[in-house]
Amino acid sequence: MRDGVAARLLSRRSLPRGALLGGLLLAVLILALCFALPLVWTADPYALNPVSPLAHPSARFPLGTDEIGRDNLARVLDAGRATLLVAIPGAVITFLAGLIYGLSSGLAPRWADAVLMRLLDAVLALPGLVVLIFFAAILRLSTPSLILLLGLISWPPLARLVRNETRAVRDRDYVQASRQMGAGLFHVATTHLLRVMAPVLAVNFTFLVGDMVLVLSALSFLGLGVQPPQTSWGGLLESALQLVALDPWWLILPPGLLIFASLLSASLIGQGLLARQGGGR
Amino acid sequence: MLRLVRRRLGSAALSLLLLTTIAFVLSHLTPGGPAYSILGPGAKPDAVAAINHEFGLDLPLWRQYLRWLWALAHLHLGSSYLSNQPVGTLLVSYEKNTILLQLVSLTASLAIALGLGMIHGVYHARGAGRIIGAIELGLYALPSFFVGTLLILWLSMGLGWFPAGGLEDLRLDHQTFGAALSHLALPATTITLLTVPVLSRYFAQSVHEELGRDYVRSAAARGASPLRILFGDVLRNALRPLVTILGLSLPTIFAGGIVTETVFSYPGLGWLLWQSAIGQDYPVLIGIVLVIGVLTVLGNLLADLVNGLLDPRVSYA
Repeated sequence: MRDGVAARLLSRRSLPRGALLGGLLLAVLILALCFALPLVWTADPYALNPVSPLAHPSARFPLGTDEIGRDNLARVLDAGRATLLVAIPGAVITFLAGLIYGLSSGLAPRWADAVLMRLLDAVLALPGLVVLIFFAAILRLSTPSLILLLGLISWPPLARLVRNETRAVRDRDYVQASRQMGAGLFHVATTHLLRVMAPVLAVNFTFLVGDMVLVLSALSFLGLGVQPPQTSWGGLLESALQLVALDPWWLILPPGLLIFASLLSASLIGQGLLARQGGGR
Repeated sequence: MLRLVRRRLGSAALSLLLLTTIAFVLSHLTPGGPAYSILGPGAKPDAVAAINHEFGLDLPLWRQYLRWLWALAHLHLGSSYLSNQPVGTLLVSYEKNTILLQLVSLTASLAIALGLGMIHGVYHARGAGRIIGAIELGLYALPSFFVGTLLILWLSMGLGWFPAGGLEDLRLDHQTFGAALSHLALPATTITLLTVPVLSRYFAQSVHEELGRDYVRSAAARGASPLRILFGDVLRNALRPLVTILGLSLPTIFAGGIVTETVFSYPGLGWLLWQSAIGQDYPVLIGIVLVIGVLTVLGNLLADLVNGLLDPRVSYA
């Protein structure tokens, strides 16, 4: 969401070696932490331990405890699940919305394409985070509506990309030939266009997941995203900031570093894919 | 050129009208509203009714909407539900702080990004370029609220160098220059850290592209020194894409500012947006969205126009 895909075009040779592999490993690690570790570390993220509030990390509490003695490791893992289970479906919805809108506009007759693109201009005229804050303030979101809102606000850049690709490919000979032989638009879209665009789409989906984690965390940090009692990484950081005078570094670093790792992983995978496709020089 | 201006302004007007209308309808259909924000959850019904009457909220929706549009056409944005100040006055006083913060951050970002990007572009496949590339990649993945929180933890709480916020009453005219500067330091550092990788990566890319062009080769063949080629020719040409990016990132820088301003309770437009979102202060909320929308469109338009001045080949098809 910070900027378009072009910003991420880094020359291939200045990308650290093994970026793609590193990014994938990081992603597996984060997913394992959030979804597999809770099977082993079974502490209750909501159970109070009034005897040990704000405890430093120890064998009993590997990441310490928060201000009312809740186990911070369990809370970070729980928050991670909540964050990813909103961000990833949000990315899927964005992806599908952008794809369908872009394909329709690209394959539509010229006048319909013009109308759809003007509408897109209108949606793009405002920064996504502002629109999100706006609706989040008015609607007071539950988890499903949060996913839907994230998905429905971030699709325009992808839609434009898909539309331009579609326009570029639809007049090629093999597509024309396929049309002559009686193939419908749907067939053309699903076989020819999607196959040509698959690499670009894969890169964009990766970036989308990163963007969603960032936006959702920012929104939750502002108190407008995932709502208490459910925690999220952004929410954990916000409550740690409230206690900052007490120097609770063990409450600040884990959620912050996990958001950082998620964004870095998405960025590495996306750029690694781009470099493999010869997108950079 | 005129056609471009007209088209851009047209779609902007359409989008702002669309968004504010949706916002208007939604905000007036939801339960709660300003009366409960002002009086608290246990408000008495007659007090609520009095407040609703005062703000004209007891009229039918379509009449409220027409009244609101009419006022908007005359640039009356209404009054804040919370502070009762006119929205226009509020926006101007907070916007001043935001512009100050953004100008300081942007100047610092540009200075750093031009240097880093130049080195990255020239030595892009060698050690220095790789290191800068890795730094950019890392900074790029840092969320503003994490950076901000760490800065508060270390520089403000740990070392006591800067105030951590709590400057809700900062009005620049009531502050000494030094005090204002110390309040600016941490938010400006945060924004700079997040802007540098984006700008420097763009600049590196375009320096690298320019270095591969024919004019560089022929200048070198004529015996021009590398430094002269770099600073005489390449720099000017490589700056052009940066102008576009600056225009396009005006709203981005702005949107990034919402979170940063909130972390440090820096009294700018972003912080006001957050306050009015939390307090469901709809007139202020709608006013800010309008302002940000207009700024976004103007930023994009400006980038296009300046780009056209720098490069006559750009057409406005």
